[in-house]
Amino acid sequence: MTLADYLPIALMLILGVGFAAVMMLASWRLGPNRPTPEKLAPYECGIVPLQEPVERFPVKFYIVAMLFVIFDVELIFLFAWAVRFDQFGWAGIGAMAIFVALLIETLVYVWKRGALDWNVASRERYRRVVAPDAEVAPREAA
Amino acid sequence: MNVDYHALAPEIILGITVLAVLVVDLLRIPKYWTAVIGLVGLFAAFVPVLTLGFCESLDFCTEPETAQRVLFGGSFVVDTFSLVLKGLFLGATAVALLLSVGYIEEDRYWQGEFYFLMLCSALGAVVLASSRDLVTLFVALELVTGPTFLMAGWRKGDPRSNEAALKYFIIGVLSAAILLFGMSLVYGYTGELTFGGIRAATAALGDSALLTIGVILTLLGFAFKVSAVPFHFWTPDTYQGAPIPVTAYLSVVSKTAGFVGLLTLSYQAFAELRDVWGPLLWILAALSMTVGNLIAVRQDDIVRLLGYSSIAQGGFILVPFGAAVAGNVTGDQLEQAFFATVTYLLIYAVMNMGAFAVVIAGANRLKSTLIADWGGLSSYAPGLAGLLALFFASLAGIPPIAGWFAKLVMFSSVLGVDSGWATALAVIAVLNSVVAFYYYAKVIKSAWFDQVPDTIPAAELRGMGRAVAPSLQFALVLTAVGVLVLGIFPNLIADVGDVAKTVAAGF
Amino acid sequence: MLINQFLLLGAALFALGVYGVLTRRNAVMVLLSVELMLAAVNINFVAFDRLIGDELAGGQIFALFIIAVAAAEVGIGLAIILLIFRNRRSANVDELDLLKL
Repeated sequence: MTLADYLPIALMLILGVGFAAVMMLASWRLGPNRPTPEKLAPYECGIVPLQEPVERFPVKFYIVAMLFVIFDVELIFLFAWAVRFDQFGWAGIGAMAIFVALLIETLVYVWKRGALDWNVASRERYRRVVAPDAEVAPREAA
Repeated sequence: MNVDYHALAPEIILGITVLAVLVVDLLRIPKYWTAVIGLVGLFAAFVPVLTLGFCESLDFCTEPETAQRVLFGGSFVVDTFSLVLKGLFLGATAVALLLSVGYIEEDRYWQGEFYFLMLCSALGAVVLASSRDLVTLFVALELVTGPTFLMAGWRKGDPRSNEAALKYFIIGVLSAAILLFGMSLVYGYTGELTFGGIRAATAALGDSALLTIGVILTLLGFAFKVSAVPFHFWTPDTYQGAPIPVTAYLSVVSKTAGFVGLLTLSYQAFAELRDVWGPLLWILAALSMTVGNLIAVRQDDIVRLLGYSSIAQGGFILVPFGAAVAGNVTGDQLEQAFFATVTYLLIYAVMNMGAFAVVIAGANRLKSTLIADWGGLSSYAPGLAGLLALFFASLAGIPPIAGWFAKLVMFSSVLGVDSGWATALAVIAVLNSVVAFYYYAKVIKSAWFDQVPDTIPAAELRGMGRAVAPSLQFALVLTAVGVLVLGIFPNLIADVGDVAKTVAAGF
Repeated sequence: MLINQFLLLGAALFALGVYGVLTRRNAVMVLLSVELMLAAVNINFVAFDRLIGDELAGGQIFALFIIAVAAAEVGIGLAIILLIFRNRRSANVDELDLLKL
């Protein structure tokens, strides 16, 4: 392939973009344009919503779910290792021990940070005791 | 299992540092200790990089039989190229960490986690420099980018920072998916995952449409990471919205990691497929330079300007790859191109870090990143204005500051190739250097010759240069000395780049 | 072996994922579309692995790594989306337009 071989691709791109541009330009220039508020409103089924629906799940579900998925998925490395672990000997067991130790350290971190605390009251306590300097950020104006 | 622990030492030390930061963060001691441990770990990891690099002159070091240390069946290789880049990554991360100290501390945002993520990302970059197979490359690359998604959104209450993080994240995972799809096709055609295996298989099997699509998709995935035009849309938004130290980190470490992937893939794995990646990277280089520079001219925000400037600089870094477009290019010329890219990356890292350090120091007190608000900076902060001129002149490529040498080797690498396409690329690069000079000079002019705007209380800000946080001062001095030394004694970096190019040998 | 069918499935899933990323407005759906693309890649890898008869099972191992990395990315992505939802009460990507030229 040389640079010249890219020419058909470039032509194709120009044609594609050009076609879309011409069509949009034509419908804008040629079509009648009499907007009314109803026409400008975005198309929605049924009644116009007055406000965003309320939040359905407490946020803590997400956090626990995310933690579960991550720790759960890490297990797949154990499967790959388990297929051949008898051939690795002690080195293999040592390597897997390091891997599991890393997971345990992460678990300890998550635990200490209070991410596993279901109870909001104890989360407040953790804010006060464990991480007193991690204040909630002042919200800046957009 | 026989493992060469000396070759793995930088990664092991950095890994232990990462864990230590996480544990120390849980203890009830002042959070700045996490930064201190991080810095110490980065410097400690630098020691084995040096001992590996100067192995022949050390007594305790057992030299390998070959020029490189091959570990894990060729997946992980420690050679001079990877050592040079490991040094770059460690150094740049240390500077980025110094830049973050004041910034993150001031916001009182989860400092420990921030340094933890930054070190994780650096660990990924250090592994990436050595990875010579697709799995290691992919995992290392994700380790580099994953933590940076979170770092970009670190200012949790600031909607712009949130937006920067989401845009960066979506583009990041999208590019990873494209990269992986390309890799899967390459694997399917060659049946190999190591770079050496892929190279041998492509030489034996020849070209095919499947392989071509695989290679192109793989490289396009990296084009997103190095924000080459037309895959750059996320860059200015993310750079502007993210905290500025994170932007500095993204534009140097994360971007260089992308280039390292491109270098090892195209010069090793796809070495036999020069006629596929040569034209592709030629086009990306030409587009990145031109579009990046033309949009940068119009910017009035200094961070956004640096964002577009880094896109354009990325184009310059891609220029030597474009030399491979010529059919008659020789092995020596390809080695020269490889050398040019590595040299440019090293110099770019120093000068871009410096430019961001100045911007952080200034924005900290001025509370503004608009270029107009920086007018007359020299009248109340001459030192800072001087450093600003130094780094921007280096980015523009004015001798005797480091940037000119990067441009010089970049031009000579393409002009040495006897081909119309290569020469055309050099001409485009020259035109772009002129455009780039214009907007870099505009910033310098604003700082030195314009009036101080009424909105800036210049009298209050007098002497603000001396009030810069010590960590930031250290970073400024480090990068300024680096830029000057590399510019005046370019032989230093030429030697480093010279040993690194051996990787591209064997054409 | 029936490699074409697997490759077609992979390519179709990948294309669906790309389509979803480009058209979906909700950030969570964009994330799901990316996961679809990664699933397509996994199908490719495993299919190729069986076709080649790779002794090291490189393709399968790669697929395992992709699954693990994808899970980590979902964690990061949901955290970012949650953050945006808290600040803006909406997860629409279209509404993120503070950073424009």
